[in-house]
Amino acid sequence: MEEQDYIQFEAYLVGDLSEEDLLAFNMRLESDPEFNKSFEIYKDLSSNLEHQIANEREIFDFKANLDVISSQHFNAIHDKELVVKPSPKSNFYKYAVAASVVVLLGFFVFNQFGGPKYDDYNNFDPISLTVRSSDDSNFSKGEQSFNAKNYKEAIKVFNLILEDDFTNLEIQLYKSMALVETNRFEEAEILLGKITNGNSAYQNKAKWILALNYLKQDKESECIKVLKTIPQDAEDYKTAQELLEKLD
Amino acid sequence: MNDKKLHEDQKYIDGLADNNAFIIQAIYDKFAPKVINYIKQNSGDAYDAQDVIQETIITIYNQAKQKKLQLTCPFDAYFFLLCKRKWLNQLKKSKGKEVTINEEVLSKDDDAQVLSFETSIFENKQALFNEMFQQLGDACKDLLKASFKIKSMEDVAKSLDITYAYARKKKSLCIGQLTKLVKASPKFNRLNY
Repeated sequence: MEEQDYIQFEAYLVGDLSEEDLLAFNMRLESDPEFNKSFEIYKDLSSNLEHQIANEREIFDFKANLDVISSQHFNAIHDKELVVKPSPKSNFYKYAVAASVVVLLGFFVFNQFGGPKYDDYNNFDPISLTVRSSDDSNFSKGEQSFNAKNYKEAIKVFNLILEDDFTNLEIQLYKSMALVETNRFEEAEILLGKITNGNSAYQNKAKWILALNYLKQDKESECIKVLKTIPQDAEDYKTAQELLEKLD
Repeated sequence: MNDKKLHEDQKYIDGLADNNAFIIQAIYDKFAPKVINYIKQNSGDAYDAQDVIQETIITIYNQAKQKKLQLTCPFDAYFFLLCKRKWLNQLKKSKGKEVTINEEVLSKDDDAQVLSFETSIFENKQALFNEMFQQLGDACKDLLKASFKIKSMEDVAKSLDITYAYARKKKSLCIGQLTKLVKASPKFNRLNY
């Protein structure tokens, strides 16, 4: 191909060819297979570059999101495969378990006096989803599971609802609460981050849950940071202030 | 392709293109187990499956965003074929391993075959394109990056301190150079042009 051919390819893609040139261009595409092939490659290259360069940020975000979901899905599988079966001849395992129980006990006892805990704040009000969509059994299943504190099941059902209606912020919020309850902190954080950054009625509630998400992980400074963003007119403002006082 | 009916599973394609976490999650919950099983039964482990699935999803995402991928078959069959092909190719590459590709086991769904094949070609293209881009000189790389980021060629010319006419000509020639590099590559015949 000559330089001129590539300049023509570009002009064609931009829509800059005169009517006469366009006609000649199309004719050559049909009659000259090498020209046609080069043009196809040029077109694909251009489209690929545009995607990779213009969407750089979006691609990065997508991969980050995918990474989190993939790890979460597979960590459970890897853990299962890596379970070490204790040998009956060795008592080391037993001692190790006993020792860690002692350490854990110490940790809990210490924590009892250490400050406010997630469990002091997670008495969520029962949710009600069925009034609006009485015909949908997923909504009633989700509601029942959540209110019965069967959070694992609730997450499953919420996912089903969100698959068809992924912009449903109310369900997203309840899902995030269930995620915190089941210690899926990273997922909860991503989801809550989205809701708090939005401009919805659930924004402040999401901030509160995000604070609890940090509290449960003993990330005090993060928890304090979020608590401070909860405005006075928010439903959870009073409780948030109380918690803030205890933490500060 | 366009006169065929879109499959309802197109929601997975659109969801990926939108970076919808629920859809990604659903893909893992619903479609990953079959792939994991298959890879485990064919000399791999869960870690291999994790990589294959992740790479496959990224490819589908790229194609969906760039080429407006239209699914005319169930996602399940399409996704499984892609993962399977990717895994078998990897096995073939790592020497010493005997690979038996049992073609009868492949899905009978023709659309899934065709679509997954197109996606595999798309993946090969993208890999080769990116490899060749790295071989360009810095002047071309900078100009191309600027012209796809900034969009207006007038602004590109200004930012690089060159004239508009030259910027535009240079852009054509840089992509032209890429075209030549791609055509001359030994991997070119894998791209089905």
